[in-house]
This record gives sequence, structure tokens and C-alpha cells, in this order.
Amino acid sequence: MANRKETRSARVGDWVDERSGWRLAWSTVFIRKIPKVNWLYTLGSATLFVLVIQVVTGVLLTFYYVPEPAQAHASVRYITHELSFGWLIRGLHHFGASAMVILTIAHMLRVVLYGAYKYPREITWLTGVMLLLLVFSFGFTGYLLPWDQRAYWASVVGTQIAEVTPFIGSWLKTVMLGGEEISALTLPRFYGAHVWALPAILLSLVGIHLYLVVRNGITSIPKKDE
Amino acid sequence: MADVTRRRFLVRAIAVMAGAIAAMVGAPAIGYLIGPSSDRSGSGDWIPLGTATSVQPGDPVLMKATVERKSGWLTDSQEVSVFVSTENGQNFTALSNVCTHLGCRVRWVPDQSGFFCPCHNAVFARDGSVATGPPPRPLDSFETKLEDGTIFIKEA
Repeated sequence: MANRKETRSARVGDWVDERSGWRLAWSTVFIRKIPKVNWLYTLGSATLFVLVIQVVTGVLLTFYYVPEPAQAHASVRYITHELSFGWLIRGLHHFGASAMVILTIAHMLRVVLYGAYKYPREITWLTGVMLLLLVFSFGFTGYLLPWDQRAYWASVVGTQIAEVTPFIGSWLKTVMLGGEEISALTLPRFYGAHVWALPAILLSLVGIHLYLVVRNGITSIPKKDE
Repeated sequence: MADVTRRRFLVRAIAVMAGAIAAMVGAPAIGYLIGPSSDRSGSGDWIPLGTATSVQPGDPVLMKATVERKSGWLTDSQEVSVFVSTENGQNFTALSNVCTHLGCRVRWVPDQSGFFCPCHNAVFARDGSVATGPPPRPLDSFETKLEDGTIFIKEA
């Protein structure tokens, strides 16, 4: 009985494989040889896992959230207090954001301390640095969206920090805010960045980053005399 | 089950955990997405229309009330117009003034003792039933009650 089911699923697998070559892709990605490593090597996968959570919960939040000054906070309150499981979806996205920052930094520290950024993995490292900056950008733009006092003042402080950039600081702040101060223009800007621009860049870079991890393999733990 | 290898066990364990995590997010997500569609807030509320003395036996009287309707996080007020009539000053019938054909507003024509819809010349009888014209069903009626001299209708 079990045998017949297995042959049937194998036949379906063969049919799809003949037309897509998925078995090779699968084994290249998941059945590759790796050196004996420790749990710290799971930090990248953990980051990827939380990223998936952020994408799923983020998409779900856009079904109700409205990036418009008069309604933004009301829609967030509606999600949190009136929708079934809205508290859960928003909570996952909220705490997932912190987890992203923590895990990305921890993953970076592992790479630095084990010297995993060296030849031939420099491009992996460079895309990783860009991904870290993107995660910060996500955190910054997402923080304004609940449109409450904390969100407002955090964005005031954040853009004032950008303002002290040499030479282009005040211009940079104006571009970020869409004006001299936080206004009706600021909220849709941050929203557009948070749900369209940044995800597009992030997912492209994640694709490159993961391709390189598979292509070059992972490093082993450095030995004492290395 | 002695032939379960370590590899097979781990593959199954991972599949079970992944399924559990997907279910933990996926099941609430379905409730989250379909939740508002089943939300019927406002239905069953009693809406005050006006004093009972303004409706006398005879011609139906058009009465209006403003209803606060919640749509998500917004509340907007809608005007509800109802033809109220009575035969004895005790029991009231309330008929919607919205034609059941395409939603135009009907008006009461005393000469013909019927509700007339200007859009396609439909006529409804005093009790709301279709006399002539295209409407598929009688005018919608509301449950009514009389309390301290005020007529209420129950929101559908």
C-alpha cells in the first residue's frame, strides 16, 4: 500500500523532473556537502526564516493598513483590537522586526569572527553588508507607519540624525521627509519605501546572497594555526 | 519501525515542525482575512424614527432617521427613509422607500393609493407588494415597535 503510493509520487516527481530538472536544483541547494560546523552556522537560516515571517505578515497587514495621516493610526488600532488575530499578525511583524536586526547582526558577527568573509566569499560579504543596511532601513521606515507619538518623534530624531551628514545632510533630510518636517507627504513615502522599494532591493540581494552561499559552499570553523 | 534511519527521522521531524509553524501562522491568517466579511455590526439595532402621533391612519408617512454605520475603522452616517403607516395608531408597518428593482426611491401617490417608482414606472401596493412593473419582490419591510410614543424600526 505504502509502496504503491510511493511509486505514484515518484512517477509524478519523474514527470515534473523531466520537464524542469527540479531534482538537480533540489539536491544542489539542500543535499550539498558541508564541513562539520556548529549551531552558530544556523544564524543565516534563522534570519531567512524570520524574513519569510516578515514578508507574510507584512503582506497581510497591507490588507487593512492605510498610509494616510487621518486614517493610519485608526487602521492600526482596528487591526490590533478589532480584527480576529490582527494582534497576532501585527505582533509577529513587530517583534519579527527586532528579531531581524538581532539575527542579522549575530550572523554578521559569526562571519567576521570566523573569517568567513575572505576569498572567495567577498561578494557574499558585500551583499550581506548591504542587506544589513536594508534591514535597518526597513526598521526605520516601518517605525513611522503606526503613526502614533512614538512613531512621529522617532522619525523626527531619525531624520535629524541624517541631517548631520556632512555637506548633504539638510538636503537628505528634506528628501526623506518630502519637505521640511513630517507631513502628509512623509507617511506615504515611508510606506512606499517600506512595502515596495526596499523589499524589491532586499529580495534581489537575498537571491544573490543565497546563490553565492550555495555556489561557494560554507566555510569550516577556522583551526588554531590558521 | 526499526527501519527508520536517522536521516529519514530528521526529514520527517523537519516536515512536521515546518507544517506546525505554517499552520500556526496560516490558520489565524485565514481568520484575519475573512473576518470583516462576516461582521454584521449594526444589524438588529433599534432605530428611533419619530413620534407615533405623526402617523395617522390613512396615507403612509415618510420618516427619516440618521444611522451611524461602521465600516472598518470609519463611521459614516447614513440616512434611512421609511414609509410608516398604521391602521389603528397602535400597530405600525414600515416599508423601505428603495425600489427592489434597481434601487430608485419610490414615492407615495395618494390618488392611486400606491408607491410609484419614477425609474421604470413600477407601482407597489399599500402593503408593499408589486402591483405592476419590473420589481422582483415587494418593498423591504422593517420590524417595528412603539415605545414611549416613539416608533422604532429594527435594522436588518
